[in-house]
Amino acid sequence: MELFDSNFLKRLQYLSIVSRRVFRGQLLAQRRTKQLGGGIEFADHRQYTAGDDLRYLDWNIYARFDDMLLKRFQEEEDLHVYFLLDLSPSMTQGDASKFQRKFDLARRVTAALAYIALADLDRVSVLAYADGVQQVLPMTRGRNQILSVMRFLERLEPTGTQTRLAAAAKDLVHRAQRTGLVVILSDFFDQEGFRSGIDQLRYRRFEPHVIQLYTQEEAEPNLLGDVELIEVETGDRRKLTINERKLRQYKELFRTFMDDMENYCRHYSLSYSRSTADTPFDDLVMQMMRASMMHV
Amino acid sequence: MNWLEFSNLGGFWWVLLALPIVAFYILKIRVRRRPVSTLLFWDKLFEEKKPRAWWQNLRHLLSLLLQLAFLILLVIALTDPLWSWQKEQQKTTILVIDNSASMSVQDAGGQARLDQAKTAARGLIRSMRQGDQMAIITAGGQPKVALGFTDHQNSLLETIDNLPLTDGPTAIQPSIETATRLANSSTGQQETIVITDGCSSDLEQYLEQEKVRLYGVGQPTDNLGITRFQIRRSPVDPIGYQALIDVTNYSKETQKTRVEFTLGEDLVDVIPLELEPGQTMSRVVDYTSRAGGQFTAELNTEDGLMADNQAVAVLPELAPIRILMISTGNVFLQSVLESVPLVQLEIKDSVPEPLGNWDVLVFDGNLPENPPPGKTIVLRPQSSSSLWELGDVLSDPIVARVNDSSPVTQHVKLDNVQFPEAKKMEPKGEVDLLVVDPLEQPLVARFVRPQGDIVVLNCGLDKGDLPLRIAFPVLMKNTIEWFQGAQRDMVPSLKVGETLSVNVSELLKRARQAKRHAAATVAAETDSAGTDLTSEDTPNAVDEMVVQSASDSQDIQLELVSPSDKAFPVSYIGDQVTVGPLQEQGVWRIRQKAETPAPDQEVGRTTDHQLMVSCNLVEPMESNLTPPIPLPALDDWPLLVLGGRSLWFYLTCLALGLITTEWWLYQRRIVG
Repeated sequence: MELFDSNFLKRLQYLSIVSRRVFRGQLLAQRRTKQLGGGIEFADHRQYTAGDDLRYLDWNIYARFDDMLLKRFQEEEDLHVYFLLDLSPSMTQGDASKFQRKFDLARRVTAALAYIALADLDRVSVLAYADGVQQVLPMTRGRNQILSVMRFLERLEPTGTQTRLAAAAKDLVHRAQRTGLVVILSDFFDQEGFRSGIDQLRYRRFEPHVIQLYTQEEAEPNLLGDVELIEVETGDRRKLTINERKLRQYKELFRTFMDDMENYCRHYSLSYSRSTADTPFDDLVMQMMRASMMHV
Repeated sequence: MNWLEFSNLGGFWWVLLALPIVAFYILKIRVRRRPVSTLLFWDKLFEEKKPRAWWQNLRHLLSLLLQLAFLILLVIALTDPLWSWQKEQQKTTILVIDNSASMSVQDAGGQARLDQAKTAARGLIRSMRQGDQMAIITAGGQPKVALGFTDHQNSLLETIDNLPLTDGPTAIQPSIETATRLANSSTGQQETIVITDGCSSDLEQYLEQEKVRLYGVGQPTDNLGITRFQIRRSPVDPIGYQALIDVTNYSKETQKTRVEFTLGEDLVDVIPLELEPGQTMSRVVDYTSRAGGQFTAELNTEDGLMADNQAVAVLPELAPIRILMISTGNVFLQSVLESVPLVQLEIKDSVPEPLGNWDVLVFDGNLPENPPPGKTIVLRPQSSSSLWELGDVLSDPIVARVNDSSPVTQHVKLDNVQFPEAKKMEPKGEVDLLVVDPLEQPLVARFVRPQGDIVVLNCGLDKGDLPLRIAFPVLMKNTIEWFQGAQRDMVPSLKVGETLSVNVSELLKRARQAKRHAAATVAAETDSAGTDLTSEDTPNAVDEMVVQSASDSQDIQLELVSPSDKAFPVSYIGDQVTVGPLQEQGVWRIRQKAETPAPDQEVGRTTDHQLMVSCNLVEPMESNLTPPIPLPALDDWPLLVLGGRSLWFYLTCLALGLITTEWWLYQRRIVG
């Protein structure tokens, strides 16, 4: 069993069809940029002001209504889609034998979304990060590039000592030639918090899409009694005695963390999805499509 | 350990279970290592408290100790440990429970003394071990074996639960004697345990006995009670009666109250009382009543024991004495008869046809040859009869001897009294010579016959001075009252628990009369010829014959009815019925038992006449709610201090408590 086997590819094609026919490309690529310019698709009118190019004056309206309105056109350009893929060791939690680690789901979702984007002739770039950007798939375009994307994703291995989204976002901002969609796939177990990284992207007019991944064991750990907890990223150890009360408090704390994340995204109108690591990738993508429909 | 012994030493093998417990403990205290994605949340949770305080390192050890303690307690319970005093306890126990009237007293805790005793008894029963046996005897009124020796705890508990409260006095001595007899029927060593409130005078002798243990319930309580109550006919007033009542104050303070006497529904008298502590007021009061009924004395007070605040006696009704005098005129005799109280006199010059029902017939000289049935007085007999043969006139008869033992001649002084016209009299049958002359000729005699005795005064009243003597009216009065027999007799009031033999002749007579009439009515209706009864077959005569002929048979069934309307069959020998011991306070009734009515009959009882017997507590020791000697309290009973169960039970409970605590603290991870 491989990460991207033939079954995965079939489901990928299915997703692509569904994306175009059912959701009419509302997910990623077919969304136009809001930039107005010299395109051919009419956008709207505005009042003429001195200095405007008279070529764009709507003479018909001037003739009929004696009103000077300037025609505006939407400039069509390629959408740049960036994937910020968390590569930290915390993403290795889950069942590796069934490819149900958070890292596996993140790679599959990345591949699926990249396929949909490439199929719509958008540009895709993947940045794998941990305490900083570790590996980069340069901006690429065209449906036939999906295989190179998959190969890149397959070669990725968890690395780093911690999750630092802010550093990765800063790197992305510096590397990106243009703004675009930034799909962040992570568990967001960031010592510095998730806000600073996403804020940087927002401030630079990127459009973040947040996909939060977690495991059932993280949400509801089955830990009671004396345990020594070892953090997989830093190797830090804690000898704790966990009782029922502490366990309830942990679950409450974890739920609060998830709700904070969702509330943050809702507050800034960011797309937000979350899923456990054992969820099939296509279910998650479909869930995202439905969420996008709701936003439209 | 001298104070603790183990019945099942094999139970100690279970202590080997400690090995796996310790093994599991060692496995348990090994720390598990678990990789986690982040420590962010755990650090937040434990940031306020250091994860491992010094004492927390000992908590697993405490868990082990709790589990080992659980095991040790369980092992000890399996060995069935016994305290030294429990070991000494006898295997065969006779439990004597006082269920006398004073056990109804509610102490300060609101629990009746009998309930306290039952609680203690249940504890004793639950502590029985394999092979132990127990019997239960009640000591209220008369001792009663409520349950013989058994080792079945449920039966014993059920018997204890159903033990009734009686109105009787405490009977400790008879109960212990019964227990001793019961104990002799069983083998092995026995012990008698008595639970009482101590209202008895015979306790002290058992305090030092080894095989008898006394335990007391209840606290000293103030009480005011009727300790004696009887009524009797007045010796001077034919329709009067006297009541004797004792009221004793068993309180620590002076008590003011009043005693109310009622006859039936009518209030007769109220006597105010003020009694010092320990003082007994004794009063004899006289009242008059021709009508009978229940005569009740009641103390108007609310104290510890209500049962002794009321006493009742039965006052029989005084029926009029109907006398038929056959005479052509005798003023002396008429005046004397009319002077007898309750007498209704009717005078005729000849015997009427039919004769009718009379209590006494008086013949002034003209007695027929065949005297009619009934109780009869004959003065100056002129001719022979079926009972005697008359001879010549005696010359100057004087009284030589008077039979003082006869009720007819009681208080009759006949010194120097002439009996003129007295004739020589030769009895033909049984005769009781009451007054005779020197030649043993009867001057006054009682002739016995089945139809009714005849008292003959062999004297011409108008010739001598007898009518002028006081002896004559006394003789007449004695004769009439003697003829009335038990009518004036009063059944004495009984103490609860006493027995009494009573004469039920009147009750049987009336029942037989009614039965005879019923039979005659049925026969008359069915006999189309309708044969009339002859003069000899008058109802009175027929009834007397029936009574006499059937007097020794059990043709009439009687029953004894308690104050709470429970009926018990009774048998009679002759006219006597022995009832008792009566265990309930109030008025008991002896009446004809209702037979199953025939289809054409409406009632099964031929007469509603009944004989009433009153029964009262009136026991000074029972009314004194402060025991004369202090008894060991139930609180001193080591078994009850422990709740009345064996030690293994508590050890098991404690073990279960420990293991539950351990589970709650550690398995539920309350301790962390």
